[in-house]
Amino acid sequence: MTVSVVETIHLRKTYMLGKVPVDALRGVNLKVEKGDFLAILGPSGSGKSTLLNMIGALDKPSDGKVLIEGVDVSTLNDDHLTDLRLRIGFVFQFFNLIPRFSARENVELSMSIAGMSKTERRKQAAGLLETVGLKERMNHRPAELSGGEQQRVAIARALANNPRFLLMDEPTGNIDSKTASEIMGLIRRLNEEKGVTIIMVTHDQRLARQAKRMVHMFDGVIAKEIVN
Amino acid sequence: MKPRDVFSYSLSAIKLRKLRAGLTTLGVVIGIAAIVALLSISQGLQNTITAQLQKGFATDTIIVSSGGGGFGGGMLGGGNSGFKLLVNDTQTIDSLGNVSTSVAIIQKAGYVRLGEKVEAVTIVGVDISKYAGIYSNIFVAESGQIASNQENETIVVGKRVVDPWENGTMLANVNDAIDILWPNATARPSKNETLSGHITAVLEEIGGFGMGGPSDSAVYIPISQAQGFFGTDECDRIIVKLTSDDAVVVDSSSEAIKEAFNDEVSATSATAVLSILSSVFSTIELFLAGIAAISLLVAGIGIMNIMIVSLMERTREIGILKALGMKGRTVLLIFLCESVIIGLIGGVIGITSGWVLANVVAIIFSGGGGMGFRNQTAVSGSIAITPVLTPTVTMLALTFGIGVSVIFALYPAWRASKLKPVEALRYE
Repeated sequence: MTVSVVETIHLRKTYMLGKVPVDALRGVNLKVEKGDFLAILGPSGSGKSTLLNMIGALDKPSDGKVLIEGVDVSTLNDDHLTDLRLRIGFVFQFFNLIPRFSARENVELSMSIAGMSKTERRKQAAGLLETVGLKERMNHRPAELSGGEQQRVAIARALANNPRFLLMDEPTGNIDSKTASEIMGLIRRLNEEKGVTIIMVTHDQRLARQAKRMVHMFDGVIAKEIVN
Repeated sequence: MKPRDVFSYSLSAIKLRKLRAGLTTLGVVIGIAAIVALLSISQGLQNTITAQLQKGFATDTIIVSSGGGGFGGGMLGGGNSGFKLLVNDTQTIDSLGNVSTSVAIIQKAGYVRLGEKVEAVTIVGVDISKYAGIYSNIFVAESGQIASNQENETIVVGKRVVDPWENGTMLANVNDAIDILWPNATARPSKNETLSGHITAVLEEIGGFGMGGPSDSAVYIPISQAQGFFGTDECDRIIVKLTSDDAVVVDSSSEAIKEAFNDEVSATSATAVLSILSSVFSTIELFLAGIAAISLLVAGIGIMNIMIVSLMERTREIGILKALGMKGRTVLLIFLCESVIIGLIGGVIGITSGWVLANVVAIIFSGGGGMGFRNQTAVSGSIAITPVLTPTVTMLALTFGIGVSVIFALYPAWRASKLKPVEALRYE
C-alpha cells in the first residue's frame, strides 16, 4: 500500500481567542492520495482555513496527527517544518506576491529559497510562466497585472519546487467570475494533465464540483464527503 | 538560500525605500565622520606639537626651573616654597656628573622698537655662545654673527621679530638700531626700562613653540647684561646639556639635579614632556571619540527604529517568505544584511567625508587661524595641522559603523525571524 500524500488523524486545534478557548478543529480524519483533487467546502468559521494551515505545515495541531507523506508534522522542529513547506505549493486568496518583484522574480523567489542557482531558476521560471499562460508578461510587476494574471503567477510560484501537492485557499475568491473559470480550468488541467495533487478550500459549490472529491466542513468536523 | 541571493534580496528591500534608507545611512555617516574628523585632527595636532617640541627641545638637555613637583610646577614656574633659582646656580649643576654644560636664562615679556614699529617679544637673557652650543642645529644666524665672546652690545633677534608678516618684508637688518623695552612693574612708579643697541645677528627661522628652547619671537641679550637690565640675579630656568641623550643618563641626571637643590627645583627632560604629552593626547582622543560615539549611538537607535517600522510593514512579506519555505535564520540574515549594507555605505561615506572635513578644518586653522598666534610671545609661528588618518582608525571606524548597525538591527531581525507564518500572513 502506498503512503497517502496527506493524512490527518483525529486532528484537533484549539485557539485561545483572548482568554476564551475556541475549538477550530474537533477531530478531522482526512486522506489525500497522489493525483487527487480535493475541495474543502464550508461556511466561514467552519475550520477549513485552520485545516489548510495544518496540512500546509504552517501551524501545529493541538492534538491528533498530520502526516505528510507519512511524516508526523508535530514531531518536526521549526527548521524541518520550513523545509517541508518548500515542497508544498501555496496559493492564497490575495495572491501574496512580493510587489517589488516582477512575475518572473516572484516565481524565482521560491527556487532561490530552495537554493537553486540563478541560471537554472531563470529557465524554470520562464517555463512555469509559460505553463500558466503568462510568458508574454513575465517582466511585469504585480501592480501591472490583473487579478487573474496575479493568481497565475502565484500558481506558477507554487509549482516552482516540484511540490508534493498544491494547497489553495479560495484561489478564485478575489477574481471576477469569467477569469475565475479560466483559473479553474488551469487548475484542473494541472491536475489532469500533469498529475498535480490539489487541495482547495472554497465556499463556492460550483467550483467545488469541478474537483474530483469534496468534503463539507461544519463546526470543526467533516460533515459529509462527496465524490464527484 | 545562497548568500548572494540573501544579499540581493536585502538590497532590493533597501532600494524600495530609498529616502528612508538614505536618512538612516546619513545618521551613520555623521557618526563616523565625526569620529574620523576628530581623531585625525587630534592625531595631526599631536604630530605637529610633538615635532615642534622635538625641534626646540634637544633630547640631551634637561630644563631646570624653580619649584618642585614635576611637569606642572616646572612649566608653570609655580613654586610655593619661595625658593628661587639663581644665575650662578649653574656652577652647582656643572659640578655634577654627566653634565657637559649649563646656561641660566632670565626671560621677561617685553617689546622691541624697530624704527616706528613696536612689537611684543620675549626678552631672553642667556650666555649666547653657550646657548648656541646647546642648540647648535637651530640657534643659527641667518645674517650677522653670533659672537663667541660675551660683549654687552650683543643683541640676537629671532626671525619673527624682524619679519613679523612672514613674507620677507624685513623691519630691520643686522647692524640696525633696536630698542628693547621692558615694563618694570616692581619700580615705583612703574616705568619702561629701555636698552638700546644694534642687532648683531638675525636667527634662521626655527618654527615650533620654543618651549624651553629658542623661539622665533624672542630677543637674546647676554646674561650679565640682562641681570643689570632686569635688576635681578634670579633666573627662570637653567638649560643643562648632558654628555649623552641615553634615557638612563637623562633620568639619573634629573634626579641628581633635583637632589642638589633639595627637591626645590623641577628637572624636565624632552622625553618626559613627550611622554606626558602623548598620554594627555590619548586622553583627549578618547574623550573626543567618546563624544563622536554618542552620535553613532543615536544613529544606531535610528537604525533600530527604522528596522522595527520596516518589520511591521513587511510582516506579511515575511509570512509569505516563511510559507514559501524560508527558514527563520534566513529572515534574520536578510534583516542583518540590510543593516550591514547601511553600515558599510554609511561607514565608507562617513570616513571619506570625515577626512574631507578634517582637511577643511586644518586649512582654516593653519590659514586664517595662524594670524592670531603671530604676535604672541608664548607661541611662535602658526600651527599647521596635517590631519592624519591611520589605517587603524579607518578600520576601526568602519568596524564601528557596521558593528553599531548590526547590533541595533539584531532585535528587529530576531523578531522578524520569530514571526509565526500563520499570524504574519493574516497581518494587514
